[in-house]
Amino acid sequence: MSDVFQDESPDVSLDGGNFGSLPTSTTIHALKNTVLKSHGRPPWYGEDGQPISDAFVIGIAGGSASGKTHVARQIVQSLGSIPTVVILSQDSFYKRHTPEEVALAMENKMDFDHPDALDMPMFTQCLMDLKKCRQTNVPVYSFQEHQRLDETQYLYGATIVIAEGIMTLQDPALRGVYDLKIFVQADSDLMLARRIRRDVKERGRSVEGVLDQYLRYVKPAYDNFVLPTSRYADIIVPGSDNHIAIELISTHVRRQLRERARRFRPKIVSRRPTGLPLPVELWSNSSEQTPSNLIVLPQTPQLKGIYTILRDEATAKQDFIFFVDRLATLLIEAAVELLPFRPRSIETPCGVEAPGKELDAVCVCGVTILRSGGPLERGLQRVINDVLLGSLLVQTDLVTSEPLLLHVMLPVCIRDRTKAKNTWVFLLDAQIGTAASAFMAIRVLLDHGILQDHIVFVTFLVAGDGGISALRWAFPEVRIVAGAVDAHLRECWVEDDTDESEGQIRRRKVWVIEPGMGQIGDRYYL
Amino acid sequence: MAAINAPTSQTCPASVPPSVFTLPQTAQLEALYTIIRDKDTPRGDFLFYSDRIIRLLVEEGLNHLPVIPKTVQTPTGVTYEGVGFEGKICGVSILRAGEAMEAGLREVCRSVRIGKILIQRDEETAQPKLFYSKFPQDIASRYVLLLDPMLATGGSAIKAVEVLKEHGVPEERIIFINLISSPEGLRNFCAKFPQTRVITGWIDKGLNEKAYIIPGLGDFGERRYCE
Repeated sequence: MSDVFQDESPDVSLDGGNFGSLPTSTTIHALKNTVLKSHGRPPWYGEDGQPISDAFVIGIAGGSASGKTHVARQIVQSLGSIPTVVILSQDSFYKRHTPEEVALAMENKMDFDHPDALDMPMFTQCLMDLKKCRQTNVPVYSFQEHQRLDETQYLYGATIVIAEGIMTLQDPALRGVYDLKIFVQADSDLMLARRIRRDVKERGRSVEGVLDQYLRYVKPAYDNFVLPTSRYADIIVPGSDNHIAIELISTHVRRQLRERARRFRPKIVSRRPTGLPLPVELWSNSSEQTPSNLIVLPQTPQLKGIYTILRDEATAKQDFIFFVDRLATLLIEAAVELLPFRPRSIETPCGVEAPGKELDAVCVCGVTILRSGGPLERGLQRVINDVLLGSLLVQTDLVTSEPLLLHVMLPVCIRDRTKAKNTWVFLLDAQIGTAASAFMAIRVLLDHGILQDHIVFVTFLVAGDGGISALRWAFPEVRIVAGAVDAHLRECWVEDDTDESEGQIRRRKVWVIEPGMGQIGDRYYL
Repeated sequence: MAAINAPTSQTCPASVPPSVFTLPQTAQLEALYTIIRDKDTPRGDFLFYSDRIIRLLVEEGLNHLPVIPKTVQTPTGVTYEGVGFEGKICGVSILRAGEAMEAGLREVCRSVRIGKILIQRDEETAQPKLFYSKFPQDIASRYVLLLDPMLATGGSAIKAVEVLKEHGVPEERIIFINLISSPEGLRNFCAKFPQTRVITGWIDKGLNEKAYIIPGLGDFGERRYCE
């Protein structure tokens, strides 16, 4: 068996007895290719809508069974309260094999320790995507079948990326990607001893077989390819008893992250409304010469009547729900008019040829900003049959008042970058006040490769003096379809009775639109 | 983009009587019609997309009803000068195809009352004849949304309005809603009832020798219920 086999199996505990001395009862389990979140993700972009910094990328190299994954885990643990971390394992990147190669691998005659066994361009691509805050789809390699599987693993949204593998420092181009390069050093005899114990104890293999494998592939590869790369490392870490080295590294990483935050803090989207006057162009179905990115529905008698019902605090819940659904349908009908169409001729049942049109888009989907975007979903489902519907959960941090991205669940046509550029997205949220969550949601879509002019933001209400101006300025090609524009955004405090355990009432700051419709999500759901 | 998105199959709206209102002729609407006109469209799609057009038609029809000023208090404690809906309405569907529009009507006007009327061609006289009607008792005091998906010669629609007028509904309080009209049908209907507003989604080329709308979409009731 190749050495990668043991490194790979996620069910093998690398803490198993002989690795390091950190307590195993850790709460953070760093399996390979995992995303670890201790809290939501704060804004990673400036008021111009552009990302303000790349993810911090750490490369960890070292021989097989030297303790790379363990070091990665220790770093994560030592960092404490951290934003999202992705641990990317190079072992997922073995190339797709021919049937002949699979047969060789089954007989343990395939050299998995050579750099050529790895799909380096793909590894570099995935790492670059993560560094640039883009989504990536990591290949899944099966060590049972000795083959890359058709499925992939979707990763997005890391602040820190840790890449580990025996060849992570091998490629010169790749070395330029890392912000910090680590080499895990362990004696050859120690690595061999760990290897024998693991393989014999946990895989029921003979010492003879393990030694044969080691001498044929593992040791030469280590000497020729792995060990020489240690000279590119910024720091060489012992594979065990390495607390001080880990402490040095985590201190360095924390300082780097603080430095970036300090540098970019002033550029982060301001939570305060700009107070700029809002030029509103009313919707006009016939004229196409006004290329405004804010489209307000024509204020028909019915639309005004619906808004009067929805704004009325005395409106009963069932009426509120009914008219929200009706209004959502009208808004989505207006929004889908922004999709492109191409000519198409058909034959009618009367046997007549008739010219017509059809949708000229590969994929159309919705993405809801939870929770208050939910009331628009019914409308979308009435207008687009079987529509794909993703969701984002954005909450406001009670301390900093910053938006935090807590959850991302997107349709396949967005997750896959090649499909994303041909996908149209209807982004749904009840209202645009400070525009903080709208900003974050649009940034998430752009990170995934959705084109700006393929995004249509649909909302019931816009605060004219709120964040809408900054939003339109940052994303001029994103179109916003709204039913009404209200004059004011006002700061106020609401009491949260959720935290009874502390025996005190928590207050949190919210922005309300006036005259507005109140808390639309509460009125629709609670 | 503008050229591609401009509708291609709408017939000269210049000659349309003043009481006729069509939906905004967008590329999106034309794409909806393309789906329901296509003889190869599966029934599920026919139902979904015809429902979408019906909703838009009902929304447009309702905009012809009066509203009155109304002031409300919002949950943020501010007063808002809005409008309230005025007057009672009911739907009347011409059987059988008109019933297909009821679901769309009820999605926009929850629990609205719906009357029914059956009109068929009398084999002896070749004239439309009333076979059955059932209306809410107070129909005379309501605005009536008359539902029939296709306006071909206008025979049944004219008969239906005559019946409604006999029940005391003034013709200016009737709004006739259909998906596709022929120019002949519109001329006949509006000549007879100039006060009744007609909301139509699309005006087609004309009628063939069997009095079917061309290009049309075939028999709406048949495609909706039986095929």
